[in-house]
Amino acid sequence: MDAKQDMKNDDTRPFLGFGLGLRTEHYQHVIEHKPQVDWFEIISENYMVPGGKPLANLDKIRADYPMVMHGVSMSIGSTDPLNTNYLKDLKTLINRVEPYWYSDHLCWTHAHNTNSHDLLPLPYNEATINHLASRISQVQDFIGRPMLVENLSSYVTYNESVMSEWEFLNEIAKRSGCYILLDINNIFVSAHNHQFKPKDYINGIDNERVMQFHLAGHSYQGDMIIDTHDHDVCDPVWDLYKYALQRFGAVSTMIERDDNIPEFAELRQELAIAEDIATKALSAEQLHIAGQPVLKGVA
Amino acid sequence: MSALQELQHNFIDYLLGQPSNIAQHIQSTPGLSAEKRLNIYAYAYKARLKEAIGTDYEQLHGYLGDEQFDQLLERFIEKYPSEETNLRYYSINIPTLLRSEEPFNSLPILAEIAEIEAAFADSFDAADSTILTLNDLAPLPESAWETLSFELHPSLQLLSYNYNSFAVWKALSDEEAPPETVQYDSPETWLMWRDSQLITRYRPLLNEEATALAFARQGQSFPAICEALLDYFCEDEVPVKAITFLQTWIQEGLVSKLNY
Repeated sequence: MDAKQDMKNDDTRPFLGFGLGLRTEHYQHVIEHKPQVDWFEIISENYMVPGGKPLANLDKIRADYPMVMHGVSMSIGSTDPLNTNYLKDLKTLINRVEPYWYSDHLCWTHAHNTNSHDLLPLPYNEATINHLASRISQVQDFIGRPMLVENLSSYVTYNESVMSEWEFLNEIAKRSGCYILLDINNIFVSAHNHQFKPKDYINGIDNERVMQFHLAGHSYQGDMIIDTHDHDVCDPVWDLYKYALQRFGAVSTMIERDDNIPEFAELRQELAIAEDIATKALSAEQLHIAGQPVLKGVA
Repeated sequence: MSALQELQHNFIDYLLGQPSNIAQHIQSTPGLSAEKRLNIYAYAYKARLKEAIGTDYEQLHGYLGDEQFDQLLERFIEKYPSEETNLRYYSINIPTLLRSEEPFNSLPILAEIAEIEAAFADSFDAADSTILTLNDLAPLPESAWETLSFELHPSLQLLSYNYNSFAVWKALSDEEAPPETVQYDSPETWLMWRDSQLITRYRPLLNEEATALAFARQGQSFPAICEALLDYFCEDEVPVKAITFLQTWIQEGLVSKLNY
């Protein structure tokens, strides 16, 4: 069976199944027990080091599981020049891991000679769209493959914003040819913090650009919700996930957990909830897992 | 400067506690003012950096206690805005600050404990390299020994301390009460490296081995190493001592390549 026949939902969106974020706390368990998980997502920067255990463990786990790469430091929205050393290291890691795809965030992290080490939001307007579309194109040309850009949780709205985040994200994807990593929890968090309807976001996103879903937990701090990744996925986010599946069809889904990390088995059980929701929301044919690496060429 | 660049500079200034007009760019809502919204980012900036440093210097934290460690973190974050792309490298200047600034420099062992922890981190993810075995020495022609030099494993570090810092660090990491601080008459050298199983090892070196290994690391030839050892041994003993050191280093996984 060739790859295209193997991709049931459509030709541009292979479905990898259900994955987890690979975390150091689970290395030993994964290496020793090889638990059933369709794929892992790695944080790229954790392996952008010269050598040693991080890369040795990565190679061992990669031998048994498909992977995608997720970065936090590309600073694609910054007005600084693109960090070519970072991009070279990223390309080296991509060549090592051979991921299905790589992603980063719709944000900026570094400017004014300082790295905030945070995912800082952008004003949503035409000037920023032009800026990002150009930079994403440069990254994709350098890496030789299209990237995925993820919506983030945010706590501020700029006076300079003149459109919704989903309109902004669609336009950037359209102009640069990048794909969208849709974080369902981030939609829920930002919807609460900025008083919009999360389903409006999901309804507004262009279906054909969505390549992956993130799920995660969050925390309430007074009137705001903070994207802490330290809790289980909550029921309203599961409901939104179901809604997103009905809107987009089968999309590769994973759970991010970055703090208060439970035993692997517990996290795997939580992933089973995602599988269960998807099984009920979609047909078995839609949930057929693709078997071939994708996004080899620039879109 | 573009509007976006100006906005980003202002945002960074705000995070660093510098004068900034970023709040003028942020919408307030009935429930939450622009300042309160921005404060979420300011809090997260500092919390994230503190968490990174705390992870890197766990034993130093234990030695100083929460209050003084937090004082150190506040000072460091104020003096060293991060220029690192990777958070892994943010805290590398902690020993520099401890060595140079009051009140931390009044206890020199603090910088040494921090250096030990930084050395472990460097060893952990240092570059990989081949590791020779004693079998690699066997085929050497006799003439090779006249120019033989060594490439050592990239994880190898020679650490020099004026205090019993390693004993203090070891007690802290074993969750035992640290011993009293002792200052040495002359610096003590410790060897740290990552072995073939990717475990970081360490041991103290006598001056003669420290000298020989430092020479080897500089790329000096085997005869030059032997000559340096004349400061410690008589001429008849030197070749045997030098060979013994070399065999030990190879067995421990310190040697990556022979050049001759």
